[in-house]
Amino acid sequence: MKNIATRICAIVFAAFLALGALFYLIAGDSLHFTADSTETVSAKAPLGEITQNEVLQQSFLCEYDTLNTLTVTVATMGRANTDVIRAELIDENSDIIYTVELNTSSMKDNSEFVIPIEPAIENAKGRYFGLRLTSLYGTKRNSVTFYYGNSVNTGRVEIPVEIEDTEALYLNGVRMLDEDDRPCSLCLKVGGINYHWFGQYYWLIYAAAMLLLALYLLRVLYCYKNNKKNAALFLVQSLYKYNFLIRQLVSRDFKTKYKRSVLGMFWSFLNPLLTMSIQYVVFSTIFKSTIPNFIVYLLCGIICFNFFNEATNMCLSSIVGNATLINKVYVPKYIYPFSRTLSSGINLLLSLIPLLIMMLITKTPLRPSALLLPFGLLMLFMLSYGVGLILATMMVFFRDTQFLWGICSMLLNYLTPIFYPETIIPERFLTFYKLNPLYHVIRFVRMILMDGVSPEPKAYLLCFLICFIPFLIGITVFRKNQDKFILNI
Amino acid sequence: MIKADTITVCYRMSRDKIKSIKEYLVALVKRKLQYDEFLALDDVSFHIKKGEVVGIIGNNGAGKSTLLKVISGILRPTKGSVELGGNVVPMLELGSGFDFDLTGRENIFLNGSILGYSEKFLISKYDEIVAFSELEEFIDIPVRNYSSGMIMRLAFSIASMVNPDILIVDEILAVGDAAFQEKSYTRMMEMMSHGTTVLLVSHSIDQIRRLCDRVIWLDHGKVVEQGDTAEICDRYIQSTQH
Repeated sequence: MKNIATRICAIVFAAFLALGALFYLIAGDSLHFTADSTETVSAKAPLGEITQNEVLQQSFLCEYDTLNTLTVTVATMGRANTDVIRAELIDENSDIIYTVELNTSSMKDNSEFVIPIEPAIENAKGRYFGLRLTSLYGTKRNSVTFYYGNSVNTGRVEIPVEIEDTEALYLNGVRMLDEDDRPCSLCLKVGGINYHWFGQYYWLIYAAAMLLLALYLLRVLYCYKNNKKNAALFLVQSLYKYNFLIRQLVSRDFKTKYKRSVLGMFWSFLNPLLTMSIQYVVFSTIFKSTIPNFIVYLLCGIICFNFFNEATNMCLSSIVGNATLINKVYVPKYIYPFSRTLSSGINLLLSLIPLLIMMLITKTPLRPSALLLPFGLLMLFMLSYGVGLILATMMVFFRDTQFLWGICSMLLNYLTPIFYPETIIPERFLTFYKLNPLYHVIRFVRMILMDGVSPEPKAYLLCFLICFIPFLIGITVFRKNQDKFILNI
Repeated sequence: MIKADTITVCYRMSRDKIKSIKEYLVALVKRKLQYDEFLALDDVSFHIKKGEVVGIIGNNGAGKSTLLKVISGILRPTKGSVELGGNVVPMLELGSGFDFDLTGRENIFLNGSILGYSEKFLISKYDEIVAFSELEEFIDIPVRNYSSGMIMRLAFSIASMVNPDILIVDEILAVGDAAFQEKSYTRMMEMMSHGTTVLLVSHSIDQIRRLCDRVIWLDHGKVVEQGDTAEICDRYIQSTQH
């Protein structure tokens, strides 16, 4: 046994070293900076030809540390034009800080045109800039124009946006208004880079964590030798002691779930696929969703949410449903919800297979960042177990919990961006909206699978915290009340 | 050995069973949340030496089953503590961990793991369990299709496969048909020998007289008397006749 303890500690330590280094490799640039760009308003109409000496001016707020591109939507009227547009960038003091001349011959009709800013403007975060576009030689029939708008597209409906005076579009010094006298804004995407201090200090943090872990493992070993209590030691020992029971309970859940059904385990594959198909048809044809790669987008959301839903519902009844056992045999009660969550977890792993197949079919490239998936799944597991513990406890004292949770999980379903893009949520609700832990997990999973990049370091921390807090609450609530269970079931 | 020190179990029974949040809130607002305190066990202390067979007697509701639950760790006492030397096997209600959709074989492993057996132990004892239960032909069909006698036989076979340090028995289990009853009785006796500490609850005074070295008499959660089997059994019978 002594050797086992040392060996486990060595394995944990080696795993930390390997995972830490591997993580740096996979996450790569994302740890140092994130390149991003804002969304544009949807194009309503072109402005009309911009001819010689006509001036467009538009202010915008830069949300990035470094400002490096501005993207506008142009219309060339389907001609090859020879006009030159002068683009100037103006700072708060109305000084021109950057000028570039753009050849209209290189612009394509009805498409985005990138205005590069070289060198990029540093320390741009939170500053207002103005973009001034002037036609130098434009004449009728030899000039281009730009798109403007004042709404955002959310599938079938256009939601109007209020455009502040500071971000309104001015044409030759006059504020541009649409037919309803509402101010408009240029179809403009601001592109920039955010730097993260985390990447710079990664190896330092890595070394510090290594040191802490080493010290902690030594402490665990010391406690083990002297038979002292230690949380980690206790956890490993009970997992070791009850691992046979846990395996039996999980296999029981799994066997009885599909017993006497013809397709059996296949339902684990079919279920997410069928749900996806229905939602795909509904949202892509009836609501005309514009999300790129909608199939994979949907499936990521459905799989994560289904797991959460199934695990919490199974945990909910885990204590009440095992009343006869709890009354007759002593087993740590944590095990019942744990084994339920675990068996849902197996279901989740199985449903990753259809996701993989759909990714291959839709030719979504599988990048190394997909290797970060275990982090997302672990967070999801922790969250579901935590919420499951709370529900199982509540269920013992109030049987209403099951009905209440049915409603709550439906509400949560709509509060999670499963079939809609998060951009449709109005800015003022966003802080509240982001309190939903599932939002963070699903965003994480989509980012690594669909965009093929690791999220920014802050996303890991947020995702961890927002999943860990329910977990901690769950453990505490469950522990405080577990002795009273037997009197109430 | 078992050392019980001033065990008190106090149930808080709300007068009207409140089972929903609404009822709870209504009761809370009306300040009608009243509880009846019910002492299932009141200051029970005893000491059982290794290898002793101790019987617990008393009328219905005397707290016998509660005491067994406390000792097997299922119920935590409100006050007091229990010290146990060695592994405990409670034979309280057989087959409570059975899943009726699983086969007999699967249930042996499920139930065994719930009773705390290790995987190695179960695999090595598997044939013995099946042989003892005499269910060889039916072991691969779902327990749902078993008769109640068959279920009890299987459950008994699983539960009785160990030689525990401390055995806790709620009524000597004689299950199945006459032949199996005899077999299970013999097995039970076998388990109680080999220096096993036994705590036995039974309503059959005859059995208690035959098996026990010592007797604890409980009434309304209190120890009335403990000591020599014959003496206390006599007095208990006298008290019930009045």
